[in-house]
Amino acid sequence: MHPGPLRMRGPPPIMAVRKSSTAVSTTTAARAGAAARRQPSAWRRVGIPYAHLTPALIAIALTTIYPLGVALSNSFRHWRVNETRTPQEFVGFQQYAKAFADTNFYNAVWVTLIFTVISVVLSVGLGLAMALVLNRVNWLSGLTKALLILPFAVAPALKGYSWRFMFSPDYGVYDKMLKTLLPFTDSINWLGEPFWALMVIVLSEVWGWAPLIALMFLGGLGSISPEIRDAARVDGTNAWQEFWKISFPLLRPLILIVVFLKAVFSVKIFDQVVTITSGGPGRATESLNFFVYSQGFTFLDIGYASAVSWILVVILGALAAGYLWLMGRQESK
Amino acid sequence: MTDTLDREGARTRPAVPKRRRPRKTGKQTALGVARLLATLVILFFVLFPILWLALTAFKPEREVFTTSILFRPSLDNFRGIIGGANDLVHPMFNSIIIAVITTVISVPLALLAAYAFSRYRFPGAKSVLLGIVATQFIPGVAIALPFLTMFRDLGLLDTHLALIVTNLAIVVPYNTWLLKGFVDGLPIEVEEAARLDGCGQLMLLWRVITPLAAPGIFVSVVFAFLLSWNEFLFPTFLARANAITLPVSLMTLDQPDGVEWGQMAAAGLLVMVPMIILATLVRKHFAQGMTLGAVK
Repeated sequence: MHPGPLRMRGPPPIMAVRKSSTAVSTTTAARAGAAARRQPSAWRRVGIPYAHLTPALIAIALTTIYPLGVALSNSFRHWRVNETRTPQEFVGFQQYAKAFADTNFYNAVWVTLIFTVISVVLSVGLGLAMALVLNRVNWLSGLTKALLILPFAVAPALKGYSWRFMFSPDYGVYDKMLKTLLPFTDSINWLGEPFWALMVIVLSEVWGWAPLIALMFLGGLGSISPEIRDAARVDGTNAWQEFWKISFPLLRPLILIVVFLKAVFSVKIFDQVVTITSGGPGRATESLNFFVYSQGFTFLDIGYASAVSWILVVILGALAAGYLWLMGRQESK
Repeated sequence: MTDTLDREGARTRPAVPKRRRPRKTGKQTALGVARLLATLVILFFVLFPILWLALTAFKPEREVFTTSILFRPSLDNFRGIIGGANDLVHPMFNSIIIAVITTVISVPLALLAAYAFSRYRFPGAKSVLLGIVATQFIPGVAIALPFLTMFRDLGLLDTHLALIVTNLAIVVPYNTWLLKGFVDGLPIEVEEAARLDGCGQLMLLWRVITPLAAPGIFVSVVFAFLLSWNEFLFPTFLARANAITLPVSLMTLDQPDGVEWGQMAAAGLLVMVPMIILATLVRKHFAQGMTLGAVK
């Protein structure tokens, strides 16, 4: 890769503005500083920016870093809120050991994993398909594109209720449609069977995400210049080849980023589990988030719940690191 | 081969309609029809759940538990949740108050931070920004659980304050990232001119940056409101009867002896319609905003 200035000529105007702005603002700050009063340069370089950051950093520290630390500390202690008001003795890694010996914990990991894989594949796959279908300039595609954001604006808890309603055994409209179109599904009680109950949660999630992901891919497809397409068509390329040879390679970095992003949000699934199944039937749809909730709330075991929540922090941390690394690579290109 | 020549011919002489006609081969027409059908399927997939909810909200009680689409519309479901047996007016006001205060606090903090990231090069800038973005990946339970016991000890459980504080955990980092993008795009020259005129830092932010960044601020206000409004996990952990928010109050219609689906649909419209309007207002920034800038 050429590190030289040739590659630097490319970045979008925003980047260019930022680059020059930092350089210029230092001199302006110097002028302003000289005009006002003599300030040490360390204050100008570090103090002023951090003075701007302080309110936000205090808010973030108090609302995320501090509670995260409290949760970590609680995870090394014995603490049942029905027994004592304050955390009890230090128990080392016992709560973590408990998790790795708990079949219900493994169940939650398994449910979360299955849910994540299926919802990521469906959301990204459908999103891509929708983007390819809608990547045309006409009024119907335009209208559909404009409507794609709607599902994501719907509160996830409500998505849950709405999909649960549509899959109700006696009066659900999707239940009726599916059973009319696919008679062999006639005996299925969608919310009563472990696999299908999870699938209804998946569908409610895919409904929100696939259209949004389609919008992201449409943005990516829009950056492919029409000349490339025209050239390909002139050469007799069919739609299938056009996708695999042109669109897919250009979208690949974006697809990877979207997969990571969706995976992070899928691992955090909570709202629809509560509103569609409450973790049931049995424990068939108990995600990790829901497991922490039930340990903390129903069983009042704060120590254990904190340990599991920290396991979740680590899992998501790994996914986040992958995501941020991909984004960083994308930026530097 | 002849096909290729044909196309090139059509391209160089687009004004001749007779040469374009034969380009539509049977295969292309079939593809066009398939695309049209696929578009209609997408429209159905995206819109149907919303339309079905809206339809159900206006159904009289007998019709709710059927899949009928022809009925005499009734407002009974709305009467049930507004001043009726399952009054949701209180949760709705809670949702509004919490979302407004969260927005009012978070946007100025985020704008200040975004300005610093955008305009200064200082030690630690990159890692601090990365750290702020990374907080978005923290699972809500790992924040809600410790707050549950902390707020209990402070006597703040089930208050607006508790939910505003926890919402800030989501909204401040998010808006910092969002606004940084907008401030990056502002021309520096105006600021320089203002500084030369002796404009102080605070005055500069208030008189120059704020008006220039107004479109970005509007977008961040919308997102702050939307994220607070739709938040479910924190109020599930931290609120009861007093500070319960609208999405959580849906659960009061979900009783052991069955769900009041008609009223659920009506309440769903109260939850959904304002957010759909807001999302439409910031349509252009929606995909970008919701994905931490994954797409530009």
